Amino acid sequence: MDFKSIQQIVYQVSTVTVVAILVGAAASLAAIGFVDAVQYLNDRFLISPYARIQADDKSGLVAAATVLVPAIGGLVVGLLVHFLVREKRGLGPPDAILAAQTNGPAPTFKSGVASTLAALVSLGSGASVGQYGPLVYLGAMFGNLVGRLRLNLRHQRSIAIACGVAAAISTAFNAPIAGLVFAHEVILRHYSLRAFAPVTVAAATGYIIANVIFDRPALFLVNFDRVEHSYEFVFFALEGVLCAGLAWVFMVLLKFSTDMGRRYIAPAWARPAGAGLALGLVALWIPEVLGIGQETLRFATIEGAFGIGELALIIVAKLALTALCVGFGFVGGVFSPALLIGILFGAFYGLILPYVAPVPHSGLVVYAICGMMALASSVIGAPLTTILIVFELTRSYDLTIAAMVSVVFANLISYRVIGRSLFDLQLRARGFDLSLGRDKAILETHQIRDYLSTEYTAASDRETVGDIRQRLVDDRRAEAMILDRQGTLMGVIRLQEIVNASADTPAMEAAIRSFTTFDEDTSVWQSMDLLRGFLGEAVPLVSKNGRLMGVVPEEAVIRAYLEIVHDLREEENEAA
Amino acid sequence: MKRRSAIVLHLVMFGLLALPGFLQAQNDDQAPEVLTIATWGGSYEASQRRAYFEPFTKATGVEIETVHYDGGVKALREQLANSKTEWDVVDMVQSDASAACDEGLLENIDPDILAAAPDGTPPQEDFMEGAIHRCFVTQIVFSTVIAFDDRAFPGAKPDNVEDFFNLEAFPGKRALRKSPVGLLEWALLSLSVPREQLYDLLSTRRGLELASRQLDGIRDAIVWWTRGDEPVELLISGQAVMATGYNGRFFHARAMEGAPISVIWDGQLIGFNSWTILRDTDQANLAEDFIAFATRAENMAAQANLISYGPARKSAQRRVGLHADVGVPMRLYMPTAPSHMDTAVVRDHRWYSQTVDLREQWFREWLKR
Repeated sequence: MDFKSIQQIVYQVSTVTVVAILVGAAASLAAIGFVDAVQYLNDRFLISPYARIQADDKSGLVAAATVLVPAIGGLVVGLLVHFLVREKRGLGPPDAILAAQTNGPAPTFKSGVASTLAALVSLGSGASVGQYGPLVYLGAMFGNLVGRLRLNLRHQRSIAIACGVAAAISTAFNAPIAGLVFAHEVILRHYSLRAFAPVTVAAATGYIIANVIFDRPALFLVNFDRVEHSYEFVFFALEGVLCAGLAWVFMVLLKFSTDMGRRYIAPAWARPAGAGLALGLVALWIPEVLGIGQETLRFATIEGAFGIGELALIIVAKLALTALCVGFGFVGGVFSPALLIGILFGAFYGLILPYVAPVPHSGLVVYAICGMMALASSVIGAPLTTILIVFELTRSYDLTIAAMVSVVFANLISYRVIGRSLFDLQLRARGFDLSLGRDKAILETHQIRDYLSTEYTAASDRETVGDIRQRLVDDRRAEAMILDRQGTLMGVIRLQEIVNASADTPAMEAAIRSFTTFDEDTSVWQSMDLLRGFLGEAVPLVSKNGRLMGVVPEEAVIRAYLEIVHDLREEENEAA
Repeated sequence: MKRRSAIVLHLVMFGLLALPGFLQAQNDDQAPEVLTIATWGGSYEASQRRAYFEPFTKATGVEIETVHYDGGVKALREQLANSKTEWDVVDMVQSDASAACDEGLLENIDPDILAAAPDGTPPQEDFMEGAIHRCFVTQIVFSTVIAFDDRAFPGAKPDNVEDFFNLEAFPGKRALRKSPVGLLEWALLSLSVPREQLYDLLSTRRGLELASRQLDGIRDAIVWWTRGDEPVELLISGQAVMATGYNGRFFHARAMEGAPISVIWDGQLIGFNSWTILRDTDQANLAEDFIAFATRAENMAAQANLISYGPARKSAQRRVGLHADVGVPMRLYMPTAPSHMDTAVVRDHRWYSQTVDLREQWFREWLKR
């Protein structure tokens, strides 16, 4: 190893470490600030029970706040998104995934800040949306900023984004391993050592900041001894299956509410206010639907806190209102509501189980946790992350194994019925399909026109076969493009078809008129599809008005495919 | 040069020491001045008498009279409803003081009256955070704990809050303060609610209902107390086998009187007591003088060496040592001893001061059902 390559290695390792620590620290601090700001707004606007009870003597005030705060918050969110976010929607994990997976332009920093602000207002005014989605985007935003620096690191942007996301999750859940795995499982979708090392550093940075410097409380704390009976694992598996069904219901509701919003409230900026008003009115009756619902989450693991009917009512209300809030354009994620609905459903399942299967079981806690993780993992498509969250938060082996069984059964079903996750569905709706793995998605984002060649044999439509035959022999080609005076592609002449034709045949008589063409937007993936059954040398690429821009030789399509896939494989298998 | 300055210093000191004497001499013509302090009785008041009241009288000649006070804001309202207020200084739980301040029942206290620490540290840095307030000066950290009669449990001893609610394993009467303070927290703690979330959960109807139901489980075993010295009496007389009470009282009974009482530190509820001045008192200046005197580091440490309540200023904490009479090392018995803090609940005094009416209403309803 010579001096230069050692120097290069030292530069790479130290730069990557610094990037990981910086992005991790920034994302972690921002996450803490965000969570605290939400808490502050919830207290100020009488959303949190803690604030509401202190204003209990002014009951009119609490009721007014319940109805008005989400509605006004919705209006502010609508206007923020409409005027300041270029994409005209809240940014979230799908944008982080897209930015990490492709080299295309990411949302601007300004859009990111405005979207984060809109998320803050949404959560602060009690909308039934999650906080982790905006936190993931916040992490990705810092990663994207660093990704733009000229540091000469390979795959700099995707790694920096993964670092930011890992730190944000690690901070928010107080679970560094889950943060690390989330970044790989959901954002990067591969496990190369080159990415793994810096992402680990970032996750640890987030954990240190959250736990050592600020001492954040854990999301949930439960007491659980052990699973008492082996047959309960069947119940956990069944619970997972039911949760997959619930996840499917949630997705359907979400789509339904999105469509309803578009149909009945024409201006997009007014939709969140409508959802906020509906939320506030329901909250007068069922206050549990407001906000993230940390208290409700806690109660779900306490035996006797809810009756069966009450639980069913809250589950239905929370499910419907979350779909309403997200579908109508409040900015926020779906992970926290999924955790809440899941834990309530788990508690519900635990309560009815004795009636369905009258055998002894290990109490409510384990079923509640299983439900929480099974539903959440189906929605966000992150089985490993959710299993690890249980492990890191409870440090209980038994609880983790129980949750693991529920989670995998939920994912087995939901993967087939819904797809990998809500994020993938959202990305597919935007034309980025990850269902066949990232190869297809990436090939879709590359245009074949980048491989255009202008070396082809052109002929005029007024020439004769003889002229063209001679030119092809001179050019050593087998194909000629027949163009009119404006350069519009009229047809293609193949040498094998004119070998025996008489020399004075007009060109257009011998030309093939139906042939494969590409246009400016044809992706590499589509071009490979179009090449099926193609017999010629090169495919003409035609602009929208029919003019020939050049040709793409068959060899170029294969080259494009190999280059792109080679890059992906390299990224996935790189060592540090 | 050196000698002369020493003489000057002696003269000045003599003058300062003699000053109260002169003031007293002038006042001798009239009836001696009397300052009325509302406080909590028993061994706690006895420690205050030795550490504050007697030295204050000695230094200023002002007599101190005490009246009994059992906490809450209602008693202050009643005082002020009388045409003539009798109380001057009140020793209040911080959350009550805060609520009373918001209601306008208290005089303002000038923070400049507070003495610096002996090493010159200004009071703002020396006192605990939040101790110096417009209406009160926080002086001690006390704790409400669960204690039990050792004689009642010869076998396994109760050692956590859950055991307090477990009548099967630990049968016998439970003595509880007849007030919506602490009950709610312990009820939820016994359901293994983490202490960080207690007040969030108690802020919901569901949380209050859950606590009510948990208390229903021991309803028939409850013996109520109101005065701070009752829990010890109830345990000693065998009327109760477990009791909640102030940690200093239990300490005093065990260390000074040898009573067979053990304290369960699990779920101890940490609170703060503060000096306040009742509104419309005609002795506001004298009351301030007393508070300035009682919050001096050496006086606070003197009290802590008599009863196991932690002083609210650092310089006083550093002076806590052996008990003045029996020589027990006091730091181990302080609520703030590191080994006791792991499962301690720090009372959320903002929540308390804002939920006075709501808690009382809840308590009345629960008693009736």
